[in-house]
Amino acid sequence: MSYLSISHITKQFGDTVVVDDFNLDVEKGEFVSFLGPSGCGKTTTLRMVAGFEIPTAGRITLDGADITEKAPNQRNVGMIFQSYALFPNMTVAQNIGFGLGVRKEPKEMISQRVEEMISLINLEKHANKYPYQLSGGQQQRVSLARALAIHPQVLLLDEPLSALDAKIRVSLRAEIRAIQKKLGITAIFVTHDQEEALSISDRIVVMNAGLMEQVGTPFEIYNFPQTQFVANFVGSLNTANAEVSDPVKGLVNVNGVQFITASDIKSRKKGDAIRVSVRPERFSFVSEEKKDNVLDCVIENITFLGSVVRIQVRIGEAKFNMDTFNNPFLDLPKIGSKEQVTCSKEAVLVLDE
Amino acid sequence: MTTSSVSSTVVIKPPATRKRWESWLIFVVVSLYFLIPLGATFYWSLRGEKDVLGFEAYRKLFADTNFLPAFSESIVNAIATIMLSLLIVVPTAYWVTLRLPKLRPVVEFITLLPFVIPGIVLVFGIIRLYSRPPLLLTATYDSSRVLLICVYVALSFPYMFRSVDNGLRAIDVRTLTEAAQSLGANWPAILFKVIFPNLRVALLSGALLTFAIVIGELTIALYMAQHTLGPYMANLTRSKVYEPSAMAIVAFAITWAAMGIIDFVGRGSSRHAQMIDTD
Ligand SMILES: Nc1ncnc2c1ncn2[C@@H]1O[C@H](COP(=O)(O)OP(=O)(O)OP(=O)(O)O)[C@@H](O)[C@H]1O
Ligand SMILES: [Mg+2]
Repeated sequence: MSYLSISHITKQFGDTVVVDDFNLDVEKGEFVSFLGPSGCGKTTTLRMVAGFEIPTAGRITLDGADITEKAPNQRNVGMIFQSYALFPNMTVAQNIGFGLGVRKEPKEMISQRVEEMISLINLEKHANKYPYQLSGGQQQRVSLARALAIHPQVLLLDEPLSALDAKIRVSLRAEIRAIQKKLGITAIFVTHDQEEALSISDRIVVMNAGLMEQVGTPFEIYNFPQTQFVANFVGSLNTANAEVSDPVKGLVNVNGVQFITASDIKSRKKGDAIRVSVRPERFSFVSEEKKDNVLDCVIENITFLGSVVRIQVRIGEAKFNMDTFNNPFLDLPKIGSKEQVTCSKEAVLVLDE
Repeated sequence: MTTSSVSSTVVIKPPATRKRWESWLIFVVVSLYFLIPLGATFYWSLRGEKDVLGFEAYRKLFADTNFLPAFSESIVNAIATIMLSLLIVVPTAYWVTLRLPKLRPVVEFITLLPFVIPGIVLVFGIIRLYSRPPLLLTATYDSSRVLLICVYVALSFPYMFRSVDNGLRAIDVRTLTEAAQSLGANWPAILFKVIFPNLRVALLSGALLTFAIVIGELTIALYMAQHTLGPYMANLTRSKVYEPSAMAIVAFAITWAAMGIIDFVGRGSSRHAQMIDTD
């Protein structure tokens, strides 16, 4: 049995089902992210692990013990909030020592642990400051130290970086990941930022409207999305309406243009309406390399995005974005010119709705 | 205003100065509105002795054997009111914030009722209700006093609830409570180590407002035949010339001291204010 096991969890508030049959096994030391749009039930699921909500159905076990209905203060779980939630009346050191204090640990042991934690987050100079005297990033590090001080069995983080500005967000997420690896602690991280989830996690659970859409490594989630929702939510995606023209050979017709796909469409019939999806970076110009699909197109628009140049092309009647890496010697086509783009058949996805 | 004067000094400056003039004028007028009656009262209170200015009226006031008992009775009433009110309001407000946020408008409305019902209506209603069995509370002076304190507790609700509620909103009780819980704290630890310390200023300001109300209250105490400061002062006005003014100044000084304490304690923990500012 795995370390943390969430099995068949359902949560209802009144008549609304907020989390529906959630199943997840987390190994010890694993870093799992819950990713999904606002309101999909990420926080609710996390709060059930923390004990702030009791599931309507299902069980949660941690290290072999059933904790489904245990009070939050009886579980050994560290929680990090988006708003830091430091105690304003206590200094950094007092905040970090709070959990051990209420457990009536001996004084010397507390101060030793507090010191250890403060050096872990590199805030030695700020031990006696109050939360309001710290920046957001520092406050969130204190909150991390405070949660870790009690040697929690699981660390739960609910959008811990959302209140911070972009630079700090990236550096603090690396720091959180480094500390998590160093201590070998099991962590669940909630976010609605796909880049954050992709960069920090061992595994990602993509959620939508209370349901788990897909569970997998960041690599699997990005490259092999199993549903239309996952493909759309993680990374950018071109989607076009199409019609099956040969289910066995994998041929589909997008507004009169033939595409070949590697997705399994054998169960569909000729003439079925489907949708095809292609990630923008999977297209390239024929001049560079020729792949399964070679498509005539017209250049519609070119947008410079820094490291990437996004080119909008019209293939038949459908418009697609194509991303190509920027370099100073890039030879960009003119708007309105006729070109040929290419992509592999694996790049053309036909996904479950 | 100040930023625009940087770009073109000549044109912009006159309105800017006029603006400052206007605000000074308003400030002076408003100050006079408060200061003139106060000064006049003070001046009047100093004329207790014929042809000389002095503190004779104050001396007489403190020498009156009824003054200090009335004063101390009011203070005891005020303290009892504050205690009871805190005991009722803090847990209620905490629980409403934490668990029953939907009930907030209802609770808020209930706490506002003392504003809606005039004191004179309230007192006759109370006397009618509590002057016959099974709730005979107006029979003796002491039971009436208990009743009076209970009424004061109700009168303090609008102020107390608002102060405590503001204090609770300023600290995100819900998240702090959950943070403390996940760190292993039980209810007493959460309340006494996290919630109360962060509500200090709010509790104090609610308490002092309550204090001010109870000290000055007249109507209800009068009709319930209580010998508190309000009826004493009213009586004084009828029979004496200078002492009521002295009394008013003393009452004013007490209120002022109370405000001073709020300010002092508030400054001591100005970190709350800063914390809210930077958010
Ligand atoms: N206590 C509650 N009572 C009723 N409904 C609730 C309660 N808590 C959450 N919900 C509802 O449950 C749904 C899921 O909420 P949840 O907070 O889990 O979403 P989330 O995925 O964390 O979203 P976000 O990214 O915005 O934080 C929402 O529609 C929300 O309105
Ligand atoms: Mg959430």
